[in-house]
Amino acid sequence: MSQSAIRLWMGLGFGAMAIYMPNLVTLPYFMHLIILALVWVILAQGQNLMQGLVGYVSITQAGFMGVGAYFSTLLTLKLGCSVWLTIFMTPFFTGLLSVLVGYPSLRVKGHYFAIVTLAYNMVIFTILLTFSSVTGGEAGISNIARPSSFSLWGYVIDFEGRSNSNYYLLVLLLAALSTGICGFILHSRVGRVFLAIRQNEVLADAIGIQSWRYKLFAFVMSAALAGLAGALYAHYIGFLNPEPFGVDQSLNAILAVILGGSGTLTGPVVGAFAVTFLPEYLRIADSYRLVTYGFILVIATIFLPRGLVPVAKDLYLFLISLLPKRK
Amino acid sequence: MIEIFQQSLNGLAIGAVYVLIALGLTVVFGILGIAHFAHGSVAMFGGYLTFLVMEKFGIPFFTAMGIAMVGGAALGLVIERLAYHPVQDAPHINAFIIALGLTMMMEGMNLLMFGADQVVIQTPYRGVFHIAGIAVAELRLIVILTACVLVGAITLLIAKTKTGKSIRAVAQNRQAAILMGVNVSMVSLVVFAISSALGVAAGALIGALLAIAPGVGEGLAVKGFAVLILGGLGSIPGAIAGGLILGVSEAMAAGFISSAYKDVIAFLVMILVLLFRPEGLLGKR
Amino acid sequence: MKTMSKKFAFTAVIGILSASLGGLSWATEKELVLGVNDALTGPGAVYGLPQSNAVKMAADEINAKGGIKAGADIYKLKVISNDDKANPTEATNSVRKLIDRDNVKYLLGFCCSGSTSAVASFIEKENVVMLVGNAAERAITAKGIPNLFRTRPPADFTGAAAGTFVAKRGAKNIAVIGSLDVSFYTQYLDAFEREINKAGGKIVAKETFGLKDRDMTPQLTKVRALNPDALLILGYVEPAAFVYRQATELGMKLPRYGFTSGSEEQFLRVATSEQMEGVWDLRPTELTVEALDANAKTYVANYTAKFGTAPSPSSPYAYDQVYVLKNAIESVGSADDTKKVIAAIRKLIVPKEAVMKYLPTAGAMFDVNGQAYTSNGAFQWQKGKWVYVSDLPSDTKTYSDYLRSLRN
Repeated sequence: MSQSAIRLWMGLGFGAMAIYMPNLVTLPYFMHLIILALVWVILAQGQNLMQGLVGYVSITQAGFMGVGAYFSTLLTLKLGCSVWLTIFMTPFFTGLLSVLVGYPSLRVKGHYFAIVTLAYNMVIFTILLTFSSVTGGEAGISNIARPSSFSLWGYVIDFEGRSNSNYYLLVLLLAALSTGICGFILHSRVGRVFLAIRQNEVLADAIGIQSWRYKLFAFVMSAALAGLAGALYAHYIGFLNPEPFGVDQSLNAILAVILGGSGTLTGPVVGAFAVTFLPEYLRIADSYRLVTYGFILVIATIFLPRGLVPVAKDLYLFLISLLPKRK
Repeated sequence: MIEIFQQSLNGLAIGAVYVLIALGLTVVFGILGIAHFAHGSVAMFGGYLTFLVMEKFGIPFFTAMGIAMVGGAALGLVIERLAYHPVQDAPHINAFIIALGLTMMMEGMNLLMFGADQVVIQTPYRGVFHIAGIAVAELRLIVILTACVLVGAITLLIAKTKTGKSIRAVAQNRQAAILMGVNVSMVSLVVFAISSALGVAAGALIGALLAIAPGVGEGLAVKGFAVLILGGLGSIPGAIAGGLILGVSEAMAAGFISSAYKDVIAFLVMILVLLFRPEGLLGKR
Repeated sequence: MKTMSKKFAFTAVIGILSASLGGLSWATEKELVLGVNDALTGPGAVYGLPQSNAVKMAADEINAKGGIKAGADIYKLKVISNDDKANPTEATNSVRKLIDRDNVKYLLGFCCSGSTSAVASFIEKENVVMLVGNAAERAITAKGIPNLFRTRPPADFTGAAAGTFVAKRGAKNIAVIGSLDVSFYTQYLDAFEREINKAGGKIVAKETFGLKDRDMTPQLTKVRALNPDALLILGYVEPAAFVYRQATELGMKLPRYGFTSGSEEQFLRVATSEQMEGVWDLRPTELTVEALDANAKTYVANYTAKFGTAPSPSSPYAYDQVYVLKNAIESVGSADDTKKVIAAIRKLIVPKEAVMKYLPTAGAMFDVNGQAYTSNGAFQWQKGKWVYVSDLPSDTKTYSDYLRSLRN
């Protein structure tokens, strides 16, 4: 079988398993973590566009996630809009907002850019916290609605209740879609320009590429994905306060991309799951969480700068090469 | 009128601490090109260490601070060798991510070693003078003086000593310095030692003036970078001017505009400067 | 052959002995797991960690006395304590794990409003009992969640009583400085302001500071220029201590009323006793030995001996949660049916082991909203100690009805 045929079958296999997953997972605890991990996949794919493809570390992903979460929530709560509508609108809103943020920030490079985005994250966080008349401040907003149920071919698909399997399918679909979009970008001409900018921006400028346009595009796309993740998060948990959208979570997004594999497509997926499940397993050593996390980040950057997925790929290829060749 | 003076005086003391933090950051950035984000947590470590030395051995404040500064310098050496040195030839983004990882590690270690409660360093300087309606806390004056002394010492070190000359050479042109036989590896170590010592001093002073607690370090690091951007990356006079300006503006903003957005000032300043004068007030174009 | 029979005899003897010993225990000993969800690290840890410790101490005490005797069973208590870092996502993960993996039916602790509200938003669907402690946000009990109870009264219950007190002492122009982006402080302030306005006074300034702020001199300088008769300070103990210190450093000599709740130890780390002299704390009559009784004294002594530091004033909210459960389970006769335990808690009178001084509503500890009320007191710092000066008269029935009316 050819390489691409193998890939296709593997993909289909994963897809089928993913859809069947709710029947395999009996504990709501694991389902809960998987849903959160999928939301993080969307976030991490966005982060990957900036960090992995273009090569600019942005420390504001969680900030946009927060903006998206509050935007969708407030529209449904204060204006009574349908949740489906607001989830759809949120990426556009955060994308638009990011132009405001991105335009000045992208005039500077490297470290400056990272620090400015960090500053923006802190500003967003402070505003969410202080504008309590609108955002509910630290006490937060409760009773956020789930998407309304609809019927399809006679079956009613309902998102309320204790079973979260339908919400899981929704998030799975959107995560797959996000990955697909990023995959499309990666393999397109735009993606190649991103990589050129990452490798040598000066050279890219010299051959006539208007790099700021591409950088802005990547920034807007990543913010849109972050907003989508935020809206899905808010409507899932049902309660919202600014706490999960601070700088620490942006650092988590960076870790997810680094661990999984910067610049690859499956890297952010692996990274998102790692970053969601690891803290739960490290609960035994709760007081060591921060140190372990930081240590992993440092070690991963020194020894595994390309992330787990490329290393795993190399290992797989190496193992295949050991198989006896057909005569 | 009195209010303005009072706010300015309060702001100057905080500004002095910002200057020390920014100096630590600017030497590393200007000379080695590393955005050493973990600097804030190193400062906190220094503050905690000063407190510990004072509590356990009854050593007076300034001596304890001196001891902690030596400890800080040692920590700086370790950080340079183990964390930054391995990635010195890798893309800059890697060094930045290492900085973020180091920050988490240091915060975690501070938490493990010193606990989650806030730590306040008790000093004997508790007097308050009242001059023309303005309350001048003795401690605030001491902080300003200490910062001046340290800044003076560093400036002298860099301008007048042989080591300082090597540092300036590497800052101007790393490759040329290597060709001229300057031991660049040694310079790296020295720069980190100086930076960490300054950071520790800042931490000790913050501990005396306010408090050291988990999370304070990160805020200090961000403000430090704001000062750097305001003053001009790599410029020592810039760091001094920038730190004082930031400290006073924060006090003024909280006093006359709104206390809720006090911290936001630093970020707004940063953003504005990057928009209109990216090289900073005293930076080179 | 010889060894075989020796072995056989030996085994037989052991077998008979253990059978007879086994037959001696009539009651089956079971394990009851209590899940504590609190901020054990981060800025909320000043409230969360003492609560977690208090629960552990109560569990050890009960086990030492033989456990909870319910019907034919004896329950020995085991405590699992999770850190939610006052973060809603962490809290949700932690509670999910406790319920699904550790099979916990009884959740205790809950020091911080943000994370508690997140859990409260789904707890109704679960077959568990949730006992909330220090989290002061009113909405937590305003929603009428049937399986949620709170031992700590909402902030505005205390705010109204505090307002009346301060107005009676003649303050007409009051400046407020507090963590005003935390809604339970704003709720306290709203109730406080209403009482002040009723008496003809007004609030002349409302300055904010963040939970992590330590330098409030800009805000205090601004307030100083307005020349108020009194200062009201609303915040966590750590930043509030700095407000007290900096106010004296700025030469401000006016009565300082606070809603902060902290032990002498916590304040003395920051300010000297002279700087604290005369400061008021208008709060629920939490752990102060003069105000409370023998239970409180024993509690303080035991806690200090066990953990090496004085208990925080609000830690008994969690301690009492354990005894509420103990008494409810004993009256039902089993710990398995949570619905029966919930019904028992609703009818429960204040347990004799409770440390806090609760004001019963219609004879029971918890009202129709699942809310318990402690009396409110005026405390003043005198010569290095918090001294209980007087009670703040508070009306539980009126407040309980008001809380009920907030349900939609």
